[in-house]
Amino acid sequence: MMLALFAFGAISGTIYWFVTYEPAGTFLLWSFSLMPLIVAGYLVLHGAVRARPLEDDPDATPDRAAGQELGTFPAASAWPLVLVLGSITVGASLVYGLLLLPVGLAVTALAVLGLMRESQS
Amino acid sequence: MSVTLERPVAAQPEEPPRRLGPVERLTSTDHKNIGILYCVTAFGFFLVGGALAGLMRVELAEPARQVVSTQAYNTMFTIHGTVMIFLFVAPFGIGLANYLIPLQIGAPDMAFPRLNLTSYWFFAGAGLLILLSGVASTGGGAAMGWYAYTPLSEMRYSPGVGVDLWILGIALVAISNVMGGVNILTTVFLMRAPGMTMWRLPIFTWNMVVTAILGLVAFPPAVAAFALLFIDRRLGGHAFDPLGGGDPALYQHLFWFLGHPEVYILILPFFGIITEVIPVFSRKPLFGYLGLVLATIAIGALSMGVWAHHMFTTGVVNNPFFSAMSLLIAVPTGVKFFAWTGTMWKGKISFTVPMLFALGFLLNFLIGGVTGVMLASAPIDFHMNDSYFVVAHFHYTIMGGSVFAIFAGIYFWFPKMTGAMLRERLGRVVAVLLFVGFNLTFWPQFVLGLRGFPRRYVSYPPDIGFDTPNLVSTFGYFVMFAGVVLFLADVAVSLRRRVPAGDDPWGGNSLEWVTSSPPPDHNFDALRPIRSERPAFDLRHPELAP
Repeated sequence: MMLALFAFGAISGTIYWFVTYEPAGTFLLWSFSLMPLIVAGYLVLHGAVRARPLEDDPDATPDRAAGQELGTFPAASAWPLVLVLGSITVGASLVYGLLLLPVGLAVTALAVLGLMRESQS
Repeated sequence: MSVTLERPVAAQPEEPPRRLGPVERLTSTDHKNIGILYCVTAFGFFLVGGALAGLMRVELAEPARQVVSTQAYNTMFTIHGTVMIFLFVAPFGIGLANYLIPLQIGAPDMAFPRLNLTSYWFFAGAGLLILLSGVASTGGGAAMGWYAYTPLSEMRYSPGVGVDLWILGIALVAISNVMGGVNILTTVFLMRAPGMTMWRLPIFTWNMVVTAILGLVAFPPAVAAFALLFIDRRLGGHAFDPLGGGDPALYQHLFWFLGHPEVYILILPFFGIITEVIPVFSRKPLFGYLGLVLATIAIGALSMGVWAHHMFTTGVVNNPFFSAMSLLIAVPTGVKFFAWTGTMWKGKISFTVPMLFALGFLLNFLIGGVTGVMLASAPIDFHMNDSYFVVAHFHYTIMGGSVFAIFAGIYFWFPKMTGAMLRERLGRVVAVLLFVGFNLTFWPQFVLGLRGFPRRYVSYPPDIGFDTPNLVSTFGYFVMFAGVVLFLADVAVSLRRRVPAGDDPWGGNSLEWVTSSPPPDHNFDALRPIRSERPAFDLRHPELAP
């Protein structure tokens, strides 16, 4: 699918260039083609050394995944809210005055630190 | 076929599910909680946007200006459009995705729970800024229309801080969408249950995968455009200012490179809902699963190449190219209609509330789609551009399409989310009121457009053919208003006087219907082997399972 999207973006961008000679749209279409190419490249590189995962095996049964670690799932976190409050304050400082900027940056930094500590615990 | 695990116990909760406290509700990273937060917040924004629409309809009910000032009217249609597109329809789809994707693929949660909650808070913060941009702005609220064309949105013509707050709000929406997109893709690609291959994914999940990709590709150029606009306004830049050598057409390119895929971000999740609802209430397997998936991918790809059909009349784009690309989208969309019709064909259709909304969606969206094909033709667009015909077309696709699908989805999954049924009889009245009200509101707007009524005008002279359609349209709004009030009453009554839903009240197909209602923490106590794209049906009818 990713390669098909890449091909679509690249081909339509090329056709668009020769039809219009208009740079903005051509650049946008070619840029669009790059994103799926990056994902496809990642999958080709890493998929080649990875055995077929159970989710892609049509005959796999859930018991074969028993005990497999899926990840850590935190129950709750207040830091996302703090991060957004900080980001809004930083944004508001660009509109209402730079006096708000240190406050916004401090709150944002606090939230980032909080998220980092939380993810390590 | 090896059966190794017991089916999750279909226990009927005797007590209402435990209610989260406010702090727990606002900080829990459980995907179901975040999904509900998204949906409830987005619906709140729908009520705000709907109230603004009501004020506009009241103003337009009669010729001349009666209720609001010209500036206030400009702010209202700006905030109405922004709220409905960026804060209601798209986030509602993300909310449902948050709730449903882990359940549908057999995962315990989304891949990045904290990122998920961060995404929600960015969305809520964006909503706050966008509402503030309309009402609490020194020097005037944002009043430049939801696509903020330059040079109108430049400092010279929009000196108030409203536009700046609006830009910041949209930037936060973009950040939220990118976070949500990363989370959805990672979850679907890496956290599916064993046996849940990509070709067994429920169509809703497939549609959210394509929607997530669209968001990841389309939002960054728009953020670049908004950043440049902000620099123009606040730091003396001239990127889009023609008097300083800038290029307003470049802004339009960058904006619509988001803006048109955004239309599909607004519709693909809801195609997914309809595709989930129709087979269940037709009592048939989905017709053309593969075709539907390929059609979704094709719509996603084509939607990236049609942005400049919004710029036909600028004279700086190649109209035949964009006209051809836009017309092509009718093909995969037609495939979808064919599949939906094929699914219902000779089915045992039951006209429950979700199915009524799905049928309403089909009729409304068909009209929206056909008029979209008309507008994709540049010669017609030259006549219709910036008229009420475009307004009617857009509302037939997004309001008549996406919003009807949202109501179908609410009635369909409310029992799963809460463990309680919504009232069927009341729901039918809601469906009828919304369908009749919607068509009364927006069909006359096609007539207005054909008669030359321009969009975004606060008043009009009497006796030139605009009076009656405007009056009918305003009446239709109040019919819809009654429908929404009844819906809210339905939700309140159903939550207070609970009719237990059971685990699978509809006889659903996808995996969420095999767990309890509401699902337990981490969703499943145990999973059965997955052998087709409708594992819940396979469990109910093992004799028919592959």
